[in-house]
Amino acid sequence: MTYYLKEITRIKNNCYANQGQLDTVIGTRHYINNNFDNELNLDLLSHIRFTSKFHLLRLFKRYYGQTPMQYLIDRRLDKSKELLLKGQSVTETCFDIGFESPSSFSTLFKSKFGLTPTEFQKRAIFTRSDKECF
Amino acid sequence: MIVKVIGVPVQDQEKALKFYTEKLGFLKKVDVPISEHNRWLTVVSKEEQDGPEILLEPAPNHFEPAKIYQKALFDAGIPYTQFNVDDVQKEYEQLIRLGVEFSVKPTKMGTVKIAVFNDTCGNNIQIVQML
Repeated sequence: MTYYLKEITRIKNNCYANQGQLDTVIGTRHYINNNFDNELNLDLLSHIRFTSKFHLLRLFKRYYGQTPMQYLIDRRLDKSKELLLKGQSVTETCFDIGFESPSSFSTLFKSKFGLTPTEFQKRAIFTRSDKECF
Repeated sequence: MIVKVIGVPVQDQEKALKFYTEKLGFLKKVDVPISEHNRWLTVVSKEEQDGPEILLEPAPNHFEPAKIYQKALFDAGIPYTQFNVDDVQKEYEQLIRLGVEFSVKPTKMGTVKIAVFNDTCGNNIQIVQML
């Protein structure tokens, strides 16, 4: 058995032995992926997985390094880039992905990507035009 | 700073190009001769052609420590790098049909599934899927 195989086995036994916990967090992640544009909160997510919200929060952070709500925001922001690249307006994108206010959406977008949604969209248009020129 | 290129050491650039394009489905991006026997040779993912490039670099042929390091990782079964796929099991079955050899069959590791294969150029490469 190679060193790597031994390590995989060791890590699996030490860190990933509880399949019930894994099913909970994986199920939660899938639910967020499929429903990110709906109104989601920790109460709802924990209710769906028949667990307490504190337990879900702790588990999700343990296995993914972030809370379910942080993961939800990341998914929404990633989706927003797709929509902005297609030419959709900032306001329409904001509401499409489940944010309630364009200003909070813009603030979050800028904090994650370093640009406001409008700047991102403009830059994407210029980059596309440059490529088309050549 | 932007990550545009990641290097993977290979013992034979032409063989590596064949493997990474014909078996793994990458596309050649840049191919510039540097010297008589070496090229600046990169490939990119078909799904992300403007994304990061993999530089197939012949370091093990020219720099003894690179050769030693690559062999040590390989002998220990440690992957040099990993690539994300949507379905490790499906990818595994397809690569097996193409004659690729795996040292680690599809295995669940917590919130991911992994498998490890031999790129025939001195490296183990891991594929990973988020579960």
